[in-house]
Amino acid sequence: MLEPFVHINKLTIRYGSKKVLDNLSWSINKGENYLLGGESGSGKTTLAQAIVSEEIVEQTIRINYVQHSLLPSKAIYISNWYQFTNLEGDRNFYYQQRYNKHQGQDTLTVQAELEHYGHKENLDLTDIEQRIKDFGFESTRATQLIELSSGEHKKLQLIKGLWAKPQLLIIDEPYTGLDKQSRITLNNWLDDLVQEGVQLILISNDQQLPRAINRFAHIVNGQLEQVDSWDQLTKNAPREKMRLPDFLLAAPPTPYKVVAKLQNIHIRYGDKEVLRDVSWEVKVGEKWLLQGPNGSGKSTLLSLINGDHPQSYGLDIYLFDQKRGTGESIWDIKEKIGIISPEMHWYFDQNATVWHTIASGFYDSIGWFVDVKFEEKKKIDELLAFFGLTDLKDQRLQTLPLGKQRLALLARTIVKNPPLLVLDEPCQGLDAEQTKYFNDVVDELAQYGKTLIYVGHYESLLPSCIEHRIVLEKGQVHTVTYHIEKETY
Amino acid sequence: MANYFNTLPLREQLNQLGIAEFMNSSEFADGVEALKGKKIVIVGAGAQGLNQGLNLRDSGLDVSYALRKEAIEQKRDSWKNATDNNFKVGTYDELIPTADLVINLTPDKQHTSVVNAVMPLMKQGATLSYSHGFNIVEEGMQVRKDLTVIMVAPKCPGSEVRAEYLRGFGVPTLIAVHPENDPQGKGWAEAKAYCVGTGGHRAGVLKSSFVAEVKSDLMGEQTILCGLLQTGSILSFDKMLEKGIDAGYASKLVQYGVEVITEALKHGGVTGMMDRLSNPAKVKAFELSEELKDIMRPLFQKHQDDIMSGEFSKTMMEDWANGDANLLKWRAETGETAFEKTPAGDVKIAEQEYFDNYVLMVAFVRAGVELAFETMVEAGIKPESAYYESLHETPLIANTIARKKLFEMNRVISDTAEYGCYLFDQACKPLLANFMTKIDTDVVGKSFNAGKDNGVDNIKLVQINDVLRNHPVEVVGRELRKAMTAMKAIKTI
Repeated sequence: MLEPFVHINKLTIRYGSKKVLDNLSWSINKGENYLLGGESGSGKTTLAQAIVSEEIVEQTIRINYVQHSLLPSKAIYISNWYQFTNLEGDRNFYYQQRYNKHQGQDTLTVQAELEHYGHKENLDLTDIEQRIKDFGFESTRATQLIELSSGEHKKLQLIKGLWAKPQLLIIDEPYTGLDKQSRITLNNWLDDLVQEGVQLILISNDQQLPRAINRFAHIVNGQLEQVDSWDQLTKNAPREKMRLPDFLLAAPPTPYKVVAKLQNIHIRYGDKEVLRDVSWEVKVGEKWLLQGPNGSGKSTLLSLINGDHPQSYGLDIYLFDQKRGTGESIWDIKEKIGIISPEMHWYFDQNATVWHTIASGFYDSIGWFVDVKFEEKKKIDELLAFFGLTDLKDQRLQTLPLGKQRLALLARTIVKNPPLLVLDEPCQGLDAEQTKYFNDVVDELAQYGKTLIYVGHYESLLPSCIEHRIVLEKGQVHTVTYHIEKETY
Repeated sequence: MANYFNTLPLREQLNQLGIAEFMNSSEFADGVEALKGKKIVIVGAGAQGLNQGLNLRDSGLDVSYALRKEAIEQKRDSWKNATDNNFKVGTYDELIPTADLVINLTPDKQHTSVVNAVMPLMKQGATLSYSHGFNIVEEGMQVRKDLTVIMVAPKCPGSEVRAEYLRGFGVPTLIAVHPENDPQGKGWAEAKAYCVGTGGHRAGVLKSSFVAEVKSDLMGEQTILCGLLQTGSILSFDKMLEKGIDAGYASKLVQYGVEVITEALKHGGVTGMMDRLSNPAKVKAFELSEELKDIMRPLFQKHQDDIMSGEFSKTMMEDWANGDANLLKWRAETGETAFEKTPAGDVKIAEQEYFDNYVLMVAFVRAGVELAFETMVEAGIKPESAYYESLHETPLIANTIARKKLFEMNRVISDTAEYGCYLFDQACKPLLANFMTKIDTDVVGKSFNAGKDNGVDNIKLVQINDVLRNHPVEVVGRELRKAMTAMKAIKTI
């Protein structure tokens, strides 16, 4: 009988006192391509990292690489988190740094990063020229890493891993932050790789998968269980809808008519124009959906509204009925906005505890706060309970699964009951149940005098209160639709 | 121009040197009010100029940049920095006459020429701000009597000033008003408002004077911050090579070690740093550093004396006049050391290993911090000022060494600091020659704990801990660090 390609024999991994993986065994035969699904926090990422780790003893995990293959005998794991450093090896970034331009280079360009990686892995860049174009990534090649959006970082990670064509490729949450077209492109590319002999393990709860996926498994109580189909994967149990904390049921005062009015906005970095002639008006109480492919300028547009973009000054922008640059501070602006974005999550102080993270929402700071008042402490406690985070309140963010981290940041976003909610892909890293739960919360919150700007790629995963939609493409307004029918978006 | 400090009677010298008061956050309750609606014109759009301007504008203030005509015509980096961020940019002639506050953020060396160009254009009763007092105190710049002269000096690189502001925080800042130039009595109100505009009020503000800032800043940068880190790094590297340690390993240990070690200093002072060592290693580091303090004390005192008398600045300004002949020669020599030319090896060094295998650097840092602090305080500088210019800044400078070694450190710091650093380094190395002959790889290159049992004498350890914890730099440091608890770790991979 043929040896299995991957053989895991009684693998146990502890995190603190908790057994994450408990005597887990798993055999993956040649030709089997897995979807590893199931609840968040069940140990999927831990298992994936163990498979590619070189430190696990041979008896526990064995990968029987094909000896005479054209593909390198290695396993690559593409993480759901991206890391890069500046040119000095430093990682002390902040989320607004993309917009703070100064002369001189902080980080490598995409092109340099690809060349560097190709050199290290002995790969030929010409092999993936077409893939880069298909992935809509060509225009970013001269861009510095710090300037990429989270979706673009995801693509860069994927391109690097897929380019290397390892015999075993493990991708953690491959679709996070990808726009619709990119997702299709990715699946086709993965199918092509499988044809060439690559074997896949995808960690995801998504349903739109490469055709090559032919096995399904999840982890239950630290052990791997194989199931017959996607439908049988464990899902996070639907959460019982809790009553929204009282303080969120009061409509915040809105002594202005227009939340944001932008007219004929151009944003340039040198010769590169990232927003071109953009006009948009958001009135108090409106619920907007902002869409567009990765790199179309969504985050830049939001940064103008959130007081994060230095070029805002001198442009025709009114926020809360006040012309930008007429004596208001960015803290005056941020006070009225609850914001969350993938970039903010990435650059957030990972050493902050869950409690501190939420508390920082009162001060619009990243993990920092002064003396929290009694009333505020009460609100934090109510939100901890509401999001099921009470037991985790003293844990540091970095020790939690991404989904839990995201919930803590969502609590931070609403803790001050802001009149404007800017939710830029708020549900990245959450599964379908958690997403539905959160969007229901948004729908309920929205009834109490909130203005909403929501960014999301997937129709099925949006709150139902959305009224209007603006779509960006290549830095321009593609369409604006008022009073959209639910079915059409 | 005469040295300002030397023109003062002793009574006034002591008075100005002794100004150091850690400000209560309630003193900043008026926010940026004192500058609201005023025209602020910044001269210089380098790292400090650009980033402070971005912060001030984001705080609701009216900021523009005055640049020299050539910088605008040739579209130099300073012009691009300002215009790319949609700032109004103009020549001195166009903008200075409109300014209520002119902020001079050009390099030290240009201050005389910049201030001479700007002053005649400034309107009656306006304010001129510095971020370093050298021009006023050492060069004796006389500013028009109707003008107010203030200083606002964030104690971090410009990029950090911006990053911490956007994180909702700030960096520790020192503010001062020049007593010869406060005709309307508005100096402190404006300095405080400026400080709030950059976020400094959230991280601790020290009320100082031009004199105290200059005399302590020069002392700190020449001795512990740059001078001793340079000397200690080179001696450690050379010792390891002499004793047959792998050059790549030695290079990496020295390049990153000082950053890792001083990171502990940042959070817990000298005590926190020493506590990272095993007990026997701590005893060893203590003994080495005591010896180092005895050897180097006269050199530290000489530097402080020359700074106080004006001898240092006189010598340096002579070198400026001589086309920086000495500075350039010494800079080239730094680029040629074996440490500089050996790239860090591709070896993994765990965080704790940087302490265990580099006890000598821990000893250097303790000796340098305490000596610099003691010498400054003996010279009449208040402990709060002395703390900022010794212990507080050491990790920031260490960070520049980790980036690209000593040449980089000397490139990033001011020319004044660089000049003083070389002076110190050249005097210090021969002073330590004898000491270094007794040094072996147990304290630099290999783990001090290897092959030893972990035993120490109880009483001795208690005594050592007592000496470390009760040193005045620790006493004042504990108080000041409370205000900066949210200070971020600078992460290096």
